[in-house]
Amino acid sequence: MVILLINIIALLVLPFLMIGTIKKTKAFWAGRKGVSLLQPFYDFLRLMKKESVYSKTTSWIFKFAPVFNFTTVLFASLFVPLISGQAIINMPFGFIIFSYVLGLGKFFSLIGAMDTGSSFEGMGASREACFSTIVEPAFFILMGSVVALTKVSTFENLKIILENAGIYGYLIILLTAFTLFIMLLIEGCRVPVDDPTTHLELTMIHEVMVLDNSGADLGLISWGSAIKMFLFEALIAALIIPHNFPFWISSLAFLGMIFLISIIIGTVEASIARFRMTHIFEFIFIMSIGALLVLTLVTYRIYGN
Amino acid sequence: MEFYFIALFLLILGAIASVYIKEKNKMKVCSVISGLSAFLLAIPSFFTLFTGQKLSADIYLSPIFGNITFAIDTLSAFFVIVISFACFLGILYANGYIKPYLNKGMNTSSHTFFLMLLTASMIAVVTIQNALFFIIVWEVMSLSSLFLVIFEGNKKEVINAGIKYMIYMHISVIFIIAAFALLSIKSGSYNFADFKEVLNNTHFANIIFMLSFIGFGTKAGLLPFHNWLPDAHPAAPSHISGIMSGVMIKTGIYGILRMLYLINTPSKLIAYSVLIISTVSALWGVLYAISQHDIKRLLAYHSLENIGIIGIGIGIGILGIVNSNPVMTIFGLTGGILHVLNHAIFKPLLFFAAGSIYNKTHTRNIEQLGGLIKNMPYTSAMFIIGSVAICGLPPLNGFISEFLIYAGIISGLATDNIAIFITLIVTLASLALIGTMAILCFTKVSGVMLLGNPRSKNAADVSSDTEKIMLIPMIILAILTGFIGFFPQYAVFPVLTTIFEISGVSIPAISSIIVILKTINILFFVFLVMLLCVSLLRFVLNKSNRKHTTWGCGYNKSNNRMQYSASSYADLFISTLKPMFKRISHIKKPKDLFPKDAYFEVEIEDLEEAYIVKPLVKLDEKILSKFERIQNGNMQQYILFGLIFLVIVIVGLICIG
Repeated sequence: MVILLINIIALLVLPFLMIGTIKKTKAFWAGRKGVSLLQPFYDFLRLMKKESVYSKTTSWIFKFAPVFNFTTVLFASLFVPLISGQAIINMPFGFIIFSYVLGLGKFFSLIGAMDTGSSFEGMGASREACFSTIVEPAFFILMGSVVALTKVSTFENLKIILENAGIYGYLIILLTAFTLFIMLLIEGCRVPVDDPTTHLELTMIHEVMVLDNSGADLGLISWGSAIKMFLFEALIAALIIPHNFPFWISSLAFLGMIFLISIIIGTVEASIARFRMTHIFEFIFIMSIGALLVLTLVTYRIYGN
Repeated sequence: MEFYFIALFLLILGAIASVYIKEKNKMKVCSVISGLSAFLLAIPSFFTLFTGQKLSADIYLSPIFGNITFAIDTLSAFFVIVISFACFLGILYANGYIKPYLNKGMNTSSHTFFLMLLTASMIAVVTIQNALFFIIVWEVMSLSSLFLVIFEGNKKEVINAGIKYMIYMHISVIFIIAAFALLSIKSGSYNFADFKEVLNNTHFANIIFMLSFIGFGTKAGLLPFHNWLPDAHPAAPSHISGIMSGVMIKTGIYGILRMLYLINTPSKLIAYSVLIISTVSALWGVLYAISQHDIKRLLAYHSLENIGIIGIGIGIGILGIVNSNPVMTIFGLTGGILHVLNHAIFKPLLFFAAGSIYNKTHTRNIEQLGGLIKNMPYTSAMFIIGSVAICGLPPLNGFISEFLIYAGIISGLATDNIAIFITLIVTLASLALIGTMAILCFTKVSGVMLLGNPRSKNAADVSSDTEKIMLIPMIILAILTGFIGFFPQYAVFPVLTTIFEISGVSIPAISSIIVILKTINILFFVFLVMLLCVSLLRFVLNKSNRKHTTWGCGYNKSNNRMQYSASSYADLFISTLKPMFKRISHIKKPKDLFPKDAYFEVEIEDLEEAYIVKPLVKLDEKILSKFERIQNGNMQQYILFGLIFLVIVIVGLICIG
């Protein structure tokens, strides 16, 4: 029960702080003072109070899609070890449900975008759907390798790579963290894949899909994507933090990791520009390469001798 | 077994009777009879599934056939239930679908006759235990479905599709006959039960399995003989597509499973070939589905994908047997066979919805549709439910079977054989790829066909939703997708009894599957509660909204032709995988200062058809045209040829003997 409460509080608070940290980092590199860490939360509250504008073309799908998308992200968070170091639901093969539930959310946000009858949103939806065909197999290869290594099929397996992998442990952890980080950038729609702050529709992916959403719908979408990013950060944190620490140290380490990864994301955003559309494919394939490298190392570790 | 024979008799009686009934009452009588027989068949089938007892009866037909055994064991029972129920819903749906064709001089008598005959023959196929009679019934099934496909035989493309279908079915039956002939020569009997002994020889079993795998696989639509599917389904009326795709191609799966029942210890070769061919088929199917814009052709390619997924499940199960990993076996086989049931639910649902849309708009091209969710809200909702289910997304039934197959793969990962490990990882990644490509495909279809603004006059002119009689079967199917999704532990029960014999798994493995499914059951209800809470909070706390046009960067006179189209939605993906497709483009470029008409059209041809089938057909024509001169229409000469052939056969037989 305590775990549940702590995790819920973490889900409510940390995603906003994470976005705030990223913004602050970007401002720091640009030599600005930046907005307060809590500004994303105020933005969210403001959006929730605003009225929504619906296109005459849209149907109930468009109204329902943001709610659906948000719920799936919330549901997926049950499977991820959060601040307490434990996931709320720890069932075998949990990562499949995690991935497919997020897929359900994606399905509805895609058809929600198509519902507006706009050419921009269709373009964004097409790109989003196309990119996820590369991301998902890579994610499954990665998780499959980790499962083969640790013989545990929940996200708990990320924590025990070191014990199972022997001398390759650090390398595997590094590569897994790298692959998950790329996935975070893709799924969280950050630079260099997508830019959440731009207004140029032609090069956008996820951001252009939500062009017609406004008010509370937009609030839910932005909170949902913040939580989604936070979940991937939590996965990386679970990978790196040693699991045999006492509770309070590992919680602090978790907070520190979230903070650190957010700073890295902010630094990446400040240092490079968004790629051209043709290069994004190449960038996403880096994730596949990372996953395949992990697979190679794991195969060598298990069958090497 | 009495119920079974009464039901079969009723179906055949209905087939004959339907010829003599008034045209407008034909389908009504047919649906009553098929409903009755579905009910009658359910009694012995459920009895077998719950008790595990095998029901059988022998009928002495003639000296040639000897005793013919009709038996309902657990495997047959499962298929009998699926077939009879799906056929009943299909015929119910046909009541509405057939209406525009009545009193137009169409041959509805032959249609209803063969519809009932198809139902009867499919049920007979999965229950007959005699090889010779099996092939006869199999042939009746193929031919009656052929006549159903060519219902609109006055169209040229329909006849072409029908001929193609017939050729493929006969390639399939050649392999099945070869397998059964070998078996009956070796065992000296036509009875399936006697085949078991001779199949103990691993080498012989491999040959037999390969032959029957090609034969039954062609029926199921597996690569490399899948090409009849995308042609036959668009040609057939929608209820026939639904029945064919939902259950008839599953008789191929039944054949493969029956062979596995007979083979005691399947070899590695069998496991790998099933797994590899299924994976390639599934990828191929969904890849080509993305490139199609004819809704029924697209759904036909998705049958290929789903048969592939079923095959992956079965392949994982066999690999588990080979690798003596019972957990893997039970997860893989349960997932595969549950997917048979699931596909028989959501595929007819999609075909029925697509058929209703075709009935209203008279076009199958999704580029011409759009905005249907406003005028046909129920049909559109049904189509979206079907899409979510076929993509394997929670909380509907497609997810359960795909989840079980994933679970099978993952439980097999802890192996000491590197070849198996790599195969499993590749299958895992392929399954994920198939899932996301299915999402791409069905967001395309739902987005372009149902949402947005109407893209043509046909779509804009739709004034009302489908009739009730067509909607009811769809609603029943949609409820079933939800039921299996939310209560998987009950749905999986008949499947578990079905595979109990084949896998020889222990009780702990079975209880582990039930425990996981019970957790999923609870989780999905948690999801439902969360969804309700979020939507309540969202829609109660903030109700204010207003209407405006779609945002067009300040331009608010955007019209229907400015919407994103299906081709452009799929183009990014297709252009990334250029070598996998053969594009045929028809272009008429605009000319002069004031161009009049210009068009651009892209057609995607199946690589297999372009590079394997067509060259083969050409070669065939080349060789056979050499024999043209002996075809002179002279009856006496033909009789002479026949005699020469007989002499050669007799001389050959004497030489061998």
